[in-house]
Amino acid sequence: MIEILKEATIGCFNSVYSIAIIVVPIMIVLQILKDYEILDKITRPFEFMADLFNISKESIFPLLVGIIFGISYGAGVIIQSTKEGNVPERDLFLMTVFLATCHAIFEDTLIFVAIGANGWLLLGSRVVLAFALTYILSKKISPETVEELKKHDGAGCDEDGCGCKHLV
Amino acid sequence: MLTKSVKEGFIKGLETTWMLARVLIPVYFIVTFLQHTPVIDWIAIAFRPLMAFFNLPGEAAIVLVIGNLLNLYAAIGAIKALSLSYAEITIIAVMLSFSHSLLVETTITKKLGLSAIKIIAIRVGLAIFTGIIMGRVGAFI
Repeated sequence: MIEILKEATIGCFNSVYSIAIIVVPIMIVLQILKDYEILDKITRPFEFMADLFNISKESIFPLLVGIIFGISYGAGVIIQSTKEGNVPERDLFLMTVFLATCHAIFEDTLIFVAIGANGWLLLGSRVVLAFALTYILSKKISPETVEELKKHDGAGCDEDGCGCKHLV
Repeated sequence: MLTKSVKEGFIKGLETTWMLARVLIPVYFIVTFLQHTPVIDWIAIAFRPLMAFFNLPGEAAIVLVIGNLLNLYAAIGAIKALSLSYAEITIIAVMLSFSHSLLVETTITKKLGLSAIKIIAIRVGLAIFTGIIMGRVGAFI
């Protein structure tokens, strides 16, 4: 029992440490890119995603962080930007769906390639299905629907503090 | 201006790390305990008959259960312990790439406002969907 507790505690420290060494540099770089207005230039090649899903261009960077580094890091950046107050609920919902389906694409693909799986098939199916699912949902939930919902229940929030639930 | 940006980013980084840590630590404890109980084996035995849908041998159930409840690295360990073909490994890999580490990752995604049930339904749904398709075409890869 004590062995297990010890293992869990050490595991926690290691995980928090590995989160910190990725998240802190991401946040510093992000802040610099924002302050020097370079962020737009970097996310420009990926703005087709913003147009495709009809989400704001500000959502592209958190989405990229999640796709490349993993869902925890993406969620971290997304939550940080919601604090600064510029992420519409609809964007938040669509980003979550995309990232739940497709995240940490390099790490997740390579560990399976290492044991002999077909990497292109893995990466391809994940990217294609993430795009397809998010696109279908983005068509179902128009920005107007979200506005409607907001009008109906005031701030557009349910008990959990987020309005995403009644969107689907 | 640069010092100010670095300082601000550093503080935001620590805030985010702390937020993620608070969410993840309880789940890590649950996952570590789970690893040391026979619960995983019981679930795997219950899921064995379903493996035929994906054209996988019954013993592959343990890999899917470990990958979904614990993490991908633990699942890789389990794959190595079994003797599976190239096609079978690819089927398992595709399924697990959609749906894995559900305890940890669902806790995180819940923070973004989507309900746990919806997130799990999407991920497991896609895993089953691709698993069935891959099981049918698996012989050609």
